[in-house]
Amino acid sequence: MTPKRLLLLLLSVGVAAFIVGIWQLASNLHWVSPIFLPPPDRAWAALLFDIERGDLASRVLLTLEHMFYGWLLASLGGILIGSAVGISSTARAYLAPTLEFFRPLPASALFPVLIAFFGLTENMVLVVIGFGALWPTLLATINGFATVKPRLHEVARLMRLSRRQFILSIALPNAMPEILAGMRLSLTIALILSVTGEILSGSPGLGYWIMLQARAFRAPDLFAGVLLFGLIGYASVQIVSLLESWLLRWRA
Amino acid sequence: MSEAAAPAEPALIAFRGIEVAFGGKPILTGIDLDMHKGEFLCVVGPSGCGKTTLLRLAAGLLPPSAGRVLYEGHDIVGPQRDVAVVFQDYSDALLPWRTASGNVSLVYETLGTPRDERADRIASVLARVGLAEHADKYPSQLSGGMQQRLQIARCLAQEPKVWLMDEPFGALDAITRQSLQDEILRIVADTGTTVFFVTHDLEEAIYLGHRVIAMKPHPGRIAATYPVDLPHPRDQRTTPEQPEFMHLRRVLLEFIRGTQT
Amino acid sequence: MRLRAIDWRGAVLPVGVLATAEIAARLTDYQSSSLPRPSEIVAAAATALLDGSMLHATAQTLLSALGGLAIGASLGLIFGTLMGLFVIFNRLMEVTVESLRPIPSVALIPIALLIFGLGYAMEITLIAKTSFWPVLLLTIAAVRGVKPRLLEVARLLRMGLIARVFKIVIPAALPGIFVGFRIAVGAALVVAVTVEIAANPLGLGYAMMRAQESLRPDLVFAYLFWVGLVGWLINAALLWFQRRIFGTVAFRARP
Repeated sequence: MTPKRLLLLLLSVGVAAFIVGIWQLASNLHWVSPIFLPPPDRAWAALLFDIERGDLASRVLLTLEHMFYGWLLASLGGILIGSAVGISSTARAYLAPTLEFFRPLPASALFPVLIAFFGLTENMVLVVIGFGALWPTLLATINGFATVKPRLHEVARLMRLSRRQFILSIALPNAMPEILAGMRLSLTIALILSVTGEILSGSPGLGYWIMLQARAFRAPDLFAGVLLFGLIGYASVQIVSLLESWLLRWRA
Repeated sequence: MSEAAAPAEPALIAFRGIEVAFGGKPILTGIDLDMHKGEFLCVVGPSGCGKTTLLRLAAGLLPPSAGRVLYEGHDIVGPQRDVAVVFQDYSDALLPWRTASGNVSLVYETLGTPRDERADRIASVLARVGLAEHADKYPSQLSGGMQQRLQIARCLAQEPKVWLMDEPFGALDAITRQSLQDEILRIVADTGTTVFFVTHDLEEAIYLGHRVIAMKPHPGRIAATYPVDLPHPRDQRTTPEQPEFMHLRRVLLEFIRGTQT
Repeated sequence: MRLRAIDWRGAVLPVGVLATAEIAARLTDYQSSSLPRPSEIVAAAATALLDGSMLHATAQTLLSALGGLAIGASLGLIFGTLMGLFVIFNRLMEVTVESLRPIPSVALIPIALLIFGLGYAMEITLIAKTSFWPVLLLTIAAVRGVKPRLLEVARLLRMGLIARVFKIVIPAALPGIFVGFRIAVGAALVVAVTVEIAANPLGLGYAMMRAQESLRPDLVFAYLFWVGLVGWLINAALLWFQRRIFGTVAFRARP
């Protein structure tokens, strides 16, 4: 990192701190009501208190669990269905239009449908997350299969790779950059749907918890929870990005 | 077709009355050609003369519109593992997500070579093309010449009887090209394989080949065959200075000029 | 075969599933509180469309989405242009942007509720927040991608900053900005429906929840397909518009 870059980064931290400072000042001087916008120091204190009490940490874990399993389900499903659709132009012709119709459908619209089937349960939330987070990975896989270079198709024919070998050795690795980008996107969707699912189902995760704080007008705790969501979103995407750059280290 | 009149050694690859047309447009016409075991056959000609198409027929990547392509007397119906193809665009033909040894390993995986044998065989194949020290590098970390060496190593792993090479050194600089030419000659001499070598470089064709086939375009057909009567092993310094080399070079150059007017 | 505009094979799956469901339900005389017959869904959709309730809910959702988009996309465009033009501004905002961006919009529902209560204001605010990001990020990328030669032309013509932005930078960056806008529209619809389902008594999402609560699975499914259709139509229209205006240049920008 060049000194100039470092300086700019520090200045950038300074800007963020300045904004937080203004917020603190605005609350302290009652420019805005602290009922709506609690001062950062009180939000921070609430965060520490809620974690120490032991309750918040387990709620965060539960939300992470929802998000992770839903994401895993969606990723596996996306890669499997995507491979099946991607490998065969016949399968593509039959399935692609239906998939195209479902893609822009807001996944949350499935909550009312699935509540009727599963009730307000964890499984219901998981199915919605799995469905909603499926699309980026699914479409990336199909696209990755379609973009195998003609030369590699020839190499596969010359080596007489079986269909299975072609999928595992050529098509999937070729699709890997797009699949990973898709999985990164789908992680964000999984988080959004976890929150929605928790709010709807009253599950004891972080999503329902912040809703309770809002109903009780406990703004500092509410902001603390939202801050945690920001952290979860940031950290999870960073982890997948790290994984991505490790898996794609073969790229120039 | 009288079997008695055929030479003692039957052709390894034979083209018989080949016609190839794409969408009604003739690409190749009236191709009759025999390649014998151990022969190094070079094919030259202006672009559009169908020399790459001829190679793809022999590889089994493309069926002829009419006529037959025979390998050891049988019709070629598809690619076979003892026929290896080296493409010019090495970067597209290698798997970028696999290391050098991973790319060679692909061959052993498809052949079902036992896992514990692979490492040794990969190492020996890489050593033969001088990539022993680059086994763990990805193609993107290798120079063009090294990537082409890697493609050759992958073909070596197939232990082919026939090499089909499609302008393999066309994208490389002159020095790298010369050293790879000598390496191919050495590999061929060691293994006694048969080579079908497509190139647009006349000197390369004369330097490498036992026989040079000259093709004409529109539609592609064989115009002339020139045996190369130069001693082996060939040498980058002395071979091009021999009268036979210079004579052939001039004949081929005139031929190419003739096709362009 | 690929040249034909409509490939009948794409219709096999949906038609097959619907026909099988209908026939199976009729043969076995199956009645369910969660899985309606396709014919019942059609009937429910027709009724809801004719009595105007479905269109009313659609109007509410689209109004919120449009309002949020107008605010979010304009702010995204303004900040994106500034941050794209002035690298220093971009760098200074880096930490702030990167810490705000990962907060999921739905996690802000409780805050919006606290501040605005139920109604249009909170929904529009959340949609604005959501549609701000794609427009901002793609505008920054598009503005920074403007060919240096064009900016040199602007300097040679001694254009002022305003003229440079409106005559050179924004027109040149428009294709990229539009991609951001298209993503923002999709996200706006998703967030609108989600907010309505999770909290806000408005629009299509609320209509679905109400149908679910009153045990009308036919109506729930009717709304589901309707939401899908509306989303699909909007997306298709924007894609058509994009191709029409900007030609067939491939937009490979990622959200």
